[in-house]
Amino acid sequence: MQSRVGSWRVVCNEWRIGRALCSRRRNAISCGVSENAISVTSLEKLFPPARSGWRALLQPFEKATIEALAGISLEVRHGEAVALLGANGAGKSTLLRILATLLLPTRGSAQVAGHDAATEAREVRRRLGYHAGSDIGFYARLTGRENLRFFGRLNHLSASALERRIPELAKQFHLGEALDRQVRTLSSGTVQRLSLARALLHEPAVLLLDEPTRSLDAIAAAEFRRFLKNDVLKNGNTSLLFASHSLPEVELLADRVAVIDAGRLVACDTVSALRRQTGTASLEEAFMRLTGRVVPSTDGAAE
Amino acid sequence: MIRACRELWAFFWRDLLIARTYRTVFLVEIVEALFGVAMFYYVARFVDSPQLEHAVPASGGYFAFSLVGFVFLDYLNAAMDAFDRSLEEARDAGTLEHLLVTQTSLPVLLAGSAAYPFVVSAVRIGVYVAWGAMLFRFPLQEANWLAVAAVLVATFLAFSGFGILSASYLLLFKRGNPAKWFFLSVSGVVGGMLFPVGVLPDWLQVVAKLNPVTYALDAMRGALLAGAGWRPVWQPLLLLLAFAAILLPTAMLVFAWALRRTKTTGTLMHR
Repeated sequence: MQSRVGSWRVVCNEWRIGRALCSRRRNAISCGVSENAISVTSLEKLFPPARSGWRALLQPFEKATIEALAGISLEVRHGEAVALLGANGAGKSTLLRILATLLLPTRGSAQVAGHDAATEAREVRRRLGYHAGSDIGFYARLTGRENLRFFGRLNHLSASALERRIPELAKQFHLGEALDRQVRTLSSGTVQRLSLARALLHEPAVLLLDEPTRSLDAIAAAEFRRFLKNDVLKNGNTSLLFASHSLPEVELLADRVAVIDAGRLVACDTVSALRRQTGTASLEEAFMRLTGRVVPSTDGAAE
Repeated sequence: MIRACRELWAFFWRDLLIARTYRTVFLVEIVEALFGVAMFYYVARFVDSPQLEHAVPASGGYFAFSLVGFVFLDYLNAAMDAFDRSLEEARDAGTLEHLLVTQTSLPVLLAGSAAYPFVVSAVRIGVYVAWGAMLFRFPLQEANWLAVAAVLVATFLAFSGFGILSASYLLLFKRGNPAKWFFLSVSGVVGGMLFPVGVLPDWLQVVAKLNPVTYALDAMRGALLAGAGWRPVWQPLLLLLAFAAILLPTAMLVFAWALRRTKTTGTLMHR
């Protein structure tokens, strides 16, 4: 019992150290880099409590009191890939949705390529590819190709550009004959690949991916990671901010990892630097330390 | 402008492709229209009288009067329904977020969602009128087709404002279409759908005069039944256009505000 309390103290202490490190690094980055693909400053997001019954009528006008993001500052440089790592409900999706102009921040600012997501939403959307991580979001009775054409049109792609991009992406994501089948007949993994193709259709400068390989089988996920690494990120023109629970994915793709816990950024650095800071051997352990969770040992006891 | 037209076409084509996958619906609607027209014809034969003929302010008797009233109210229904139905479908299918992260502007997204319903409901009017003319002596020779087209567009613009307000309500409160409920239920009595508003008591006639549906119906009957001139059409047409000029921008602003509100509360995709 005593040793467990002791280990908690160590964890809490390291968490505080981690936060201090992160805070120093944030300031250093904010001062040093002038132009970023993504720049988030003291971002806060509060939601109103959910209401039911007749009180639901007041829901749109409720005071926001539930904190989802508590002053996050983060920057993603041009051509950089940054992973958001955090437990469920930590605020990763909220951050991505603010950047995608689907949510408005309560305080602070979120910029994409120098444009504010709240006040210059159209400019932001011009530079953005967004994948929500779900296997819905298509017209079920249209084919994959018809869906891609429609969304491509709304992203101002010409017919000739679409004729070029759709087969390219279909090949890349192994969509094959799925492209000409109605979406309702496709497996969730295939729809997920279609959704990723949609996000990349207009060759955006900034990619926001929320758990991009959630519904993919192991082979498709590996292929997708390889594609992102070798084809999207390698040229240095695309910046990536993605949320993931898959630590191998984070290690493979991310130049830096932003660890978020309860709406706060607790660390933001390379995988090796995070391991070094926390004195751990793996990203998983580093994540546990940084978020103040107990690292389970292989025999089930807490370390 | 060209880009906006391309985007509108993309919406129209999307809806046409989706509708194509439900092929039998087209056929069923055409047959349904035939039975609808037949019903009005036989009701008119039953109730037609010299007094009624005199009371109905257009040619073609009660059959033409009631048929135009019925199909045109159906058209108004489409104008008020198109936006919130499209919004609800997008929300349920999860496409709403993906539409909102595209580069297409909000007015084009809204207009695009109504493009196909507008065309389909105009075609539906045509089908009803065609059945009436082919089988039941609907007086097509009286129609001023240019005026008919003008009234259709003006009416859709005017009532789209209510449709967009309803969509705003749906964004905020997740269920219900109060504009449609109000106009269609009230207009059943005071809009002049199945009987001229002249037969109503005075105080209800005042309500009818405040109801834009009355003017829309007057304009459509004037264009279809009043003998190929513009005289019976221009006044209600101007009123409808004035109505659209005020209501549409207001409704757009309300919708933009409602959208911002749902982005603030995080309830955009809530049902």
